Amino acid sequence: MTRISIFFIVGVLFFNACHSPTEGKKHLKVGFLDAFQDETIEEAKKGFFKALEEKGFDPKTNIQVVYKNAQGSIPTLNQEINYLLDQNLDILATNTTLATISSAQRTQTLPIFMMVSPSPQSAGLLDKKGMSPKNLFGVYESLSYIDTSIILLKQLKPSVKTLGAIYSQGEPQSLEAYQHLSDRCKALNIDLISLPVNNSSETQLVVQTLLNKHLDAFFALPDNSVFASFETILKSCNEAQVPIFTSEEGLVKRGALAAFGPDIFEWGHQAGIQAAQFLKTHSTKGLGPEIVRIRKKVYNAKVASQFHISIPQGISPVKE
Amino acid sequence: MSFLLQIILYGLALSSLSMGIFISMKIFNIPDITTDGSYTLGAVVAGVCLVKGYPLPLIFILSFLSSALAGSITGFIGTYLKVNPLLSGILVMTALYSINLSIMGKANLPLIQVKNIFNVFSDGQEKPIIQLWVLLSIIGIMATLLILLLKTDFGIAMRATGNSETMVRSMGVNTNRLKILGLALANGFIGISGFLMAQYQGYVDISMGIGIIITGLGGAGLSDAFLNKMAVPSVTIRVIGVILGTLIFQFLTSLAISLGIDSNYLKLVTALLVLAVVSLPLIQIKKV
Repeated sequence: MTRISIFFIVGVLFFNACHSPTEGKKHLKVGFLDAFQDETIEEAKKGFFKALEEKGFDPKTNIQVVYKNAQGSIPTLNQEINYLLDQNLDILATNTTLATISSAQRTQTLPIFMMVSPSPQSAGLLDKKGMSPKNLFGVYESLSYIDTSIILLKQLKPSVKTLGAIYSQGEPQSLEAYQHLSDRCKALNIDLISLPVNNSSETQLVVQTLLNKHLDAFFALPDNSVFASFETILKSCNEAQVPIFTSEEGLVKRGALAAFGPDIFEWGHQAGIQAAQFLKTHSTKGLGPEIVRIRKKVYNAKVASQFHISIPQGISPVKE
Repeated sequence: MSFLLQIILYGLALSSLSMGIFISMKIFNIPDITTDGSYTLGAVVAGVCLVKGYPLPLIFILSFLSSALAGSITGFIGTYLKVNPLLSGILVMTALYSINLSIMGKANLPLIQVKNIFNVFSDGQEKPIIQLWVLLSIIGIMATLLILLLKTDFGIAMRATGNSETMVRSMGVNTNRLKILGLALANGFIGISGFLMAQYQGYVDISMGIGIIITGLGGAGLSDAFLNKMAVPSVTIRVIGVILGTLIFQFLTSLAISLGIDSNYLKLVTALLVLAVVSLPLIQIKKV
């Protein structure tokens, strides 16, 4: 009997939980979906809400934020999208690729504002006519961050002949970025020596193997395996006296030499400005997926002096 | 209401997985971790074939067979190579990660604008009601087939193998062969869940199967927690119970999400839920 009553209570709770939020809508409702969470990705979220605030949408007063984070689990991500789509949202902001793809596949009406995501084309979201979904807005990045990073690499260390890199077989953007990197290196006559990893636990072994081949520099493609195990890469590279280049500022803070890539905070901010415009006008006129605007060059002063590399004008040091 | 309907759709798509876990875990008593890989394999095969535009029934069969093959390999390693069943599942699951990647050629395959089982009956539009009917028919057919199979002599031998392998072997039945076929069947069912989920969520991702086994365990465990009151529940009731159990389990985990539990604790909540439903029958025995 007790068991039945427990399930009854749970059932009642559930129906309440399902229905109460849809009643009496006073504020504009903003959904925010993170596919996973780390320090770097967090910046985009901060930027997004900063932009909303600047435009007069404050979570404390006139908008209601429904935040969900799947912590890297796809089954959870699906359930959370189901939940969010039932919340009568005005807009849904999606942070990182998987959140964007999953949401765009599940709703054709709710406006989605993406950030830290690839272009609709490389995410495979274009229809047969080559159009991106009508409800997809926000900010994406093309592979040009690889180009800019390689330019910076040549500028700071022109003598580079062999470059090492690892890429994640399990991450679509990583593989795509790697192929682009490999094309760029061929064009510039740099020998790219690389190995794939499946997850962050393999990084150490793979990086050690690469370092045995006498690299001049290491390029850290900003993917999840690298983010998760960057300290391992750093330690091995430091022992071998090999500087690390990358395209992401967070990794420079963590000990890479320099980066030239999108500013993740500004990325979220740019998406937030778009979202605010929609919240104000409730019209999608003039809105659409746009490319990230602000990229910046940064370097780590401590690492630069360690490798005796002089930094030209126009590159700013990261704050520790 | 749409949230409830979406949970039912999601639960139905996963109930084929639960039926697979029911076969491996409840009938054969083998905790088969191949699940994480064979679920993804079913989805990967479905995704690749959908993009190529193969006919849907053929894709269904290919998904089932490829995952069944993976299951039979686990069975072979566990019986003829005498490797611990848990370890053989882990080995095959690990190997499947690479296999899945090489079949897809990349880590994420979007399935936008392809003909799938949910939009083929409604002119390319995905309507939840039609999705519901499609899922109900597919799961209905699979459950019926499973029930009929478990009632044949072959099915009874399978069930007996899980209860007392020595006894079955002493009657001259090759239990190794039974286990291999059983695991193939279980993983075939799991692959169909991957097939359905790929089309429901609209993409295939290499990591979509990670941790999915817990969903099946929850579904199969919940039904047993309720059915253990009956002395000998019939196979029909048990299989239907597994499907209902999966739906209830999805309700409970969605409840956790809608109550706003911190995402960091969601897996903990899920684990505790499964622990509760798995341990309920045991507590019952103590009372008697």
